[in-house]
Amino acid sequence: MTDLRTIPVVAAGEERPSGGQGNLLARVFDELTAFCRSRSLFMLHYCTGCGAVELPPAMTSRFDMERLGIQPMVTPRQADILLVTGYVSTKTLKRIILTYEQMNSPKYVIGICSCTVNGGMYWQSYATAKKLNDYLPVDMYIAGCMPRPEAVISGLRELIANIRAGRSDYWRDYYRRYDHYLGNQQRLFGENWQTPTDVIAEARHYGLFGPETLGEHTALLEQHQTPLQPFEMRLGLKQDKGSSS
Amino acid sequence: MRPENYQAVSHPPSHEYEVFFGPNHPGIEGNYALKVRLHGDEVTAARADGGYLHRGFEKLMEGRLWIQNIALVPRICVPDPVPMEVCYSLAIEALGGLEVPERAQWIRVMQLELSRIAAHLFTFGGNAATTGMYTPMFWGIADRDLILDLFEELSGGRVYHIYNIPGGVRRDLPEGYLKRVSDTLDYIESRLPDYDNLMFTNQVFVRRATGVGIMTQEQALDWGVTGPNLRATGLPFDVRRDDPYLIYDQLEFDVPVEEAGDAWARTLVRRAELKQSLRILRQVVARLPEIDGPIRAPIPNPLAWNLPLGDVYTRVESSKGELAYYVVSNGGDKPWRVHVRGPSAMHAVQVLEHLVTGARIEDVAQIMFSLDACPPEVDR
Amino acid sequence: MTPTDAPGHDVTTTLDFLLQEVDGLRTRWVAPRRLRVDLPAETLPALLELLKGRAGYVHLSAISCVDWPDDGQFELVYHTWSYELNVLVMAHIRIPRDPGVYLSIYDLYRPAAFFERDIHEMFGLWFEGSPDMGKFILTEWEGPPPMRKEFDGEAWVMEQFGWQEYRPEWLTEIEAKGGGISKRPEQLRGDKGEDGTA
Repeated sequence: MTDLRTIPVVAAGEERPSGGQGNLLARVFDELTAFCRSRSLFMLHYCTGCGAVELPPAMTSRFDMERLGIQPMVTPRQADILLVTGYVSTKTLKRIILTYEQMNSPKYVIGICSCTVNGGMYWQSYATAKKLNDYLPVDMYIAGCMPRPEAVISGLRELIANIRAGRSDYWRDYYRRYDHYLGNQQRLFGENWQTPTDVIAEARHYGLFGPETLGEHTALLEQHQTPLQPFEMRLGLKQDKGSSS
Repeated sequence: MRPENYQAVSHPPSHEYEVFFGPNHPGIEGNYALKVRLHGDEVTAARADGGYLHRGFEKLMEGRLWIQNIALVPRICVPDPVPMEVCYSLAIEALGGLEVPERAQWIRVMQLELSRIAAHLFTFGGNAATTGMYTPMFWGIADRDLILDLFEELSGGRVYHIYNIPGGVRRDLPEGYLKRVSDTLDYIESRLPDYDNLMFTNQVFVRRATGVGIMTQEQALDWGVTGPNLRATGLPFDVRRDDPYLIYDQLEFDVPVEEAGDAWARTLVRRAELKQSLRILRQVVARLPEIDGPIRAPIPNPLAWNLPLGDVYTRVESSKGELAYYVVSNGGDKPWRVHVRGPSAMHAVQVLEHLVTGARIEDVAQIMFSLDACPPEVDR
Repeated sequence: MTPTDAPGHDVTTTLDFLLQEVDGLRTRWVAPRRLRVDLPAETLPALLELLKGRAGYVHLSAISCVDWPDDGQFELVYHTWSYELNVLVMAHIRIPRDPGVYLSIYDLYRPAAFFERDIHEMFGLWFEGSPDMGKFILTEWEGPPPMRKEFDGEAWVMEQFGWQEYRPEWLTEIEAKGGGISKRPEQLRGDKGEDGTA
């Protein structure tokens, strides 16, 4: 298991204010929130790759992850953890970023399998993205090809401990250094890349707007950005395809 | 909280909807998408969207040594990896003119059938879960884990074994392994009545599955469907029997067939196949101790191993259908071309689009799972 | 045509006899159930029609494409299987690499739609008459068809992603004792313009 702090490309998260400062009641409230958060985690496991096959055993009768208060959740809006299970192809990575931006804060990302760490055995492949933490702030990596259910559970326990102690707040990093992440995304998806979420406005709303939120890449985004519209689905399906004869 | 630029829009009243199924959905179907157009709750058009699991295997394999690729191939189908290893090994053995020792062939068959049972248990779980019955899923996956334990004891890996290598298998069976296989078979056989009560005779499941996603035999042949999905339409074709590889021609087993061609028939065929796999494994466990000899044919230094010029097409029956590898060698130490014919490629794209059209929205997941598509095989 | 259990003498002679009706074929039995047929590209539809109509070859197992840049050709291999004869016929044709256009066999075999679309994406071949040549797998890909031999995937990856050096402590310890990786990845790659972002 790799703690993100040991990987140099991502800045370490903000230190929590130490005890003895501020309102005592607020501190108690913070403690309570951290406790509750760590005890009821809904996880959205995006089956990006092979690692997804070890999650059903981890969730079902034999290893029974629900003991820890972790349950699968079907929608990103209600999930706390985004589990990226395995190699991330470019096509999938777009969907992962959209999913991640839809999730409500606080949110945690776990990269499972070696492929999310550095590309794994697909480091040569033209189709897969190599390092997940270039595109999203990753709270924890669980390495292995693929990690056993015990490893997954032990990783999640560590995440619980981190949340409980208030150490796992890398989601703030996405707002603080949005330019860095957007730059990597643009490098892979082209300069016209834009997500439907207004991350910069959210950063202001959460009070996480920092000196690195804006930069050359967000400037590029503003140049071509189309105003956010109410979402309308267009699938490009032919009307009444009928029988495919 | 609504964003500041939120404006409510009013659409003209309509019964037409378009819905995405996937790529992210909480099941074991995998990273695959289906876009459907609905009129009310009836699907009027559907379009499969793959490529989320594309890793460019065929390109990667051209850049690695013959022996290195054995670590890549099982990743092509995650729930059922052993047929991939065996099929690729068979291709290399045919190209290199290697004779696989008999003991290795028997061990391979044992691996293949264990993998098939594991894959079918996994599918039952997912299939039942689409009708809201989660108990078979919990049981099936827990029982599958016992087979993974056997794999782990043999090879060190739960899911990917890299155990079948060109020339034979990596190592011999540990002490008392066959006894443990036999015990696991006893256990799984003893569980079958429970599964019958829970799923296969349960009216909740039967009524949801009967008459859903009907495929006639003509359609199945027309679309190139193989495996359990073809057998559920009444054609008894099985690569193991009709194009035998390894020692399958020395084993006794039936090819179960159903006539109806609907989701229910497909599930029943898999249920019957599970029984046949148990039957094969019993024969293997009985015969294996008598067969002595090496477990691996001698191969030259695998790091400088040039296979002679040629091409070969090998086929194996995986739990999803006919799996084939077309391997071309130009006389070098790396493959010139490897083409993987994943069985799911046939029934996960055209067939799925067709069967879903006209179905109701609640049956879409059921149809997807009853076809037992493995998306990584489609995308490679 | 009677169903047979094994490819006996009569099956092989039946097939050999049947294939005499098409001109320009070279046939070779490479294995008991594998018949290799080499033929000129223009006679392939006639051969497949004959096989499907007269010998029960209703199952198209796969279409494989092989790139031979030195010959300036693509090799297309049509693997068909008969549920009655239980023999696989592999029809090999060669078409020029440029312009790389061939006929679709979708009207004979429906599964061809998937394989032709796949070959179009991966090799850039065009099949006349195929129902859907739209992108399926590589929808986010704008480079050249990746399976062509001239596309160097590794060089592309190096340019696109950069290399992350990984030197954990345990490796340094092993190297201090004289062990470790004998050949560094950059040596293996022949120092192909690569500067490591540590």
